[in-house]
Amino acid sequence: MLPVIALAIAVEGAALVCGANIRGLNSGLIRGFVFLGQMFPPDWSAFPELLGPAFDTIIIAILGTFFGTIISLGFGLAAASNVAPRWLRRLTRGMIRIERAIPEIVILLFLVAAFGLGPFGGVISLTIGCIGMLGKLFADAIEEIDPVSIEAIEALGASKFQVIYYGVLQPVIPAIISFALFRFELNIRLSVILGAVGAGGIGLELYRAFSLLDYNRGCSALIITLALVFITERLSEYLRSKVRLEGALR
Amino acid sequence: MKQPSLYTLPSVRYRRKVTVFSLIVLLTVATCIYLGFDPLMLFTEFHYVVDLAGNMLPPNFELFRSNGHVWWAILETISMAFLGTIYGGLIAFVLAFLAASNTMPAWAVRQVVRFSLSLMRVIPSLVIILVFVVAIGLGPFAGMLTLVWTTIGTFGQLFTQVIENIEPGPSEAMYAIGASRTQVIRYAILPEIFPSFIANLLYSFDINMRAALALGIFGGGGIGFELYMAMRVLRYKDALALVCFTIVLITIVEKLSDHLRKKVLGAGALK
Amino acid sequence: MIEVKNLTKSLPNGRKLLDGISFTVNKGEFVGILGASGAGKTLTIRCLNGLLKPDSGEVIVEHDQGVRRDICSISKRQLKKVREKIGVIFQGFHLVKRLTALENVMIGRLGQINSVRSLVYGFTDKEAEEGLAALEKVKIQHLAEARVASMSGGEMQRVAIARAIFQNPNLLLADEPLSNLDPSNAKNIMKLIQPLSRDMPVIGVFHQPEMTAKYCTRVIAIKNGRVFYDGDPKLSDELLIEIYGEELRHLEANFFPEVQAVPITFTKNKPELHDRPNLSNL
Repeated sequence: MLPVIALAIAVEGAALVCGANIRGLNSGLIRGFVFLGQMFPPDWSAFPELLGPAFDTIIIAILGTFFGTIISLGFGLAAASNVAPRWLRRLTRGMIRIERAIPEIVILLFLVAAFGLGPFGGVISLTIGCIGMLGKLFADAIEEIDPVSIEAIEALGASKFQVIYYGVLQPVIPAIISFALFRFELNIRLSVILGAVGAGGIGLELYRAFSLLDYNRGCSALIITLALVFITERLSEYLRSKVRLEGALR
Repeated sequence: MKQPSLYTLPSVRYRRKVTVFSLIVLLTVATCIYLGFDPLMLFTEFHYVVDLAGNMLPPNFELFRSNGHVWWAILETISMAFLGTIYGGLIAFVLAFLAASNTMPAWAVRQVVRFSLSLMRVIPSLVIILVFVVAIGLGPFAGMLTLVWTTIGTFGQLFTQVIENIEPGPSEAMYAIGASRTQVIRYAILPEIFPSFIANLLYSFDINMRAALALGIFGGGGIGFELYMAMRVLRYKDALALVCFTIVLITIVEKLSDHLRKKVLGAGALK
Repeated sequence: MIEVKNLTKSLPNGRKLLDGISFTVNKGEFVGILGASGAGKTLTIRCLNGLLKPDSGEVIVEHDQGVRRDICSISKRQLKKVREKIGVIFQGFHLVKRLTALENVMIGRLGQINSVRSLVYGFTDKEAEEGLAALEKVKIQHLAEARVASMSGGEMQRVAIARAIFQNPNLLLADEPLSNLDPSNAKNIMKLIQPLSRDMPVIGVFHQPEMTAKYCTRVIAIKNGRVFYDGDPKLSDELLIEIYGEELRHLEANFFPEVQAVPITFTKNKPELHDRPNLSNL
């Protein structure tokens, strides 16, 4: 009984802090629906000019995932107990953990403060952001390799690099591709959000349209965004299932 | 001699590899140019980073003592995440039962619920918060509602799968002795999935903490908002102090969440 | 030629795993190492390749051009060079599942190829040709482009043998190569390994005394970390019991009618010997 009471108190306290109240919700709901009504119909004329920014958003996500995967692979190798010496492993795992705790938005804010607005900050934020998730996933995948694969390559007198390539990398390539595709889905959503904060793309267009009260345009941007997210998710799922079946794309 | 058609010559393979590799490099360079993204800027314009670092360090931890507002913002962020997780989790939980094939026999209901969950998941949180901000104004309430929405979206589908993946054995046994659907849910299904539910709830709290920060920037209040404001007025030392605190906070929540999750799942396994 | 002198290895608590193992194997010999589980067979053979470092002793291997090296005391770089010319076949095959059979075979020479070239360019056409020749020797050249992951156990072990052959080794080691294979595949693999002993010493750890009896030129039995027997591959029943003790029950399942080993059945606790196989009991 006690935990339930504690929970109830916590919930009440939190609601107070947030300023949550039912009345606000009710009037808000009405206002919300009015607002949604204002959004329709979408501004059809805006569609062509919104495709460019949408494309930008996709490109930012792709580049961010691409570079991020490569860097995370390095981190993964350095953080795997069966590849890296102990001190390196501890250091790298610590760095990965710290990076995980920093939201990509915060990274972007700093990059914008340093370099200004634009896709540069977006790509770099996503690249760095990958490290927290992919670095850990890659490191864990590498540590899960059957040590015999490494041993067999060592037994025929291969050099350290050959052992890493044939004994470590080859077995984990399907996992790498799979995780990278998963991260790509996430990066598309992030790319939209980061866009609004200054990286450009459809996120920025969306935010701008709403700020300027051009709700119909905002609706168009919203539709394009939804389509974008939906298509990339399906694509990523499809590719990932292919990887599972064949062990790799090539 | 054996026909070479038994295998492709390594030299042919190599040429193919080189072509693919060159194409990838070309595409990457092309897209970078198209976007106006110059990775080298990181090095050539590095002095900007140095400048910024100079402005940011040392972080102004005094902020926490002088500005009581900051503590209120922290409370806002935590509350947002907390309520978003609780309410979102509960609603997702209920909806999952309506969407799972083994608890909801009516196909039409299932499809409607699943579609709604999908929709809620696909719409980016940016849009949700914008709508809520317009509907009920700036502040953590809008943020909290956004988190409720996104939690339902993310975990609704997850919980549905969890419910569908349980072993049919116990439920079938209960149906066989004449139990009603609610009884089966209450006694056979709930105990099975409860640990998983709690574990996911803890995990979603972790995620929502991070999300709460992002939403703060768009009007959700809390530390995110404070951070954004600090950066806009160029108070970088304050900003860095807030970021440091954020990192510590997120790490604590993450550790707590992991620890509790292990306890819950460990106990669940024994049940 | 390989000369093993006085290998010892103990656990931290003092228990001896290897206690003075010594033997010499020359070209033309196919040696089977037998012994109960835990007797020290696998440890021994792993010392022969440097995969395990003994507490004391020497393993002298004849490398190219008559150069002799003691595996237990050479530097890492020298060990790498010696290993290039030692072929190893494992119980679990240990192939790179993602790659094709031919690629796996060519991996055999990784030590002998320049590291940079192998990673950037890959293998040459000539190496591919020779790799195919190695696959031909094990009779799976038609599977050259097939992924190892899609192959059966017998096929995988053949790829492993081809990989070892491709190394042009001075010594071939096999660590329980038959244990993951069904009986007919096991026979085929033994038939492939045996002729290799013409060009180099072949040493294999086996759990199948009827196989070593038929295909090996010599058997070394290890018991409690010591060389218990070293000689004729056809072992008498008393010897088998001495070597395996209780384990002999499991070996009953590996009975092959065409092999001329004498089966032993246990009634109560006393072993009874029959001088002819009693097929009606199977």
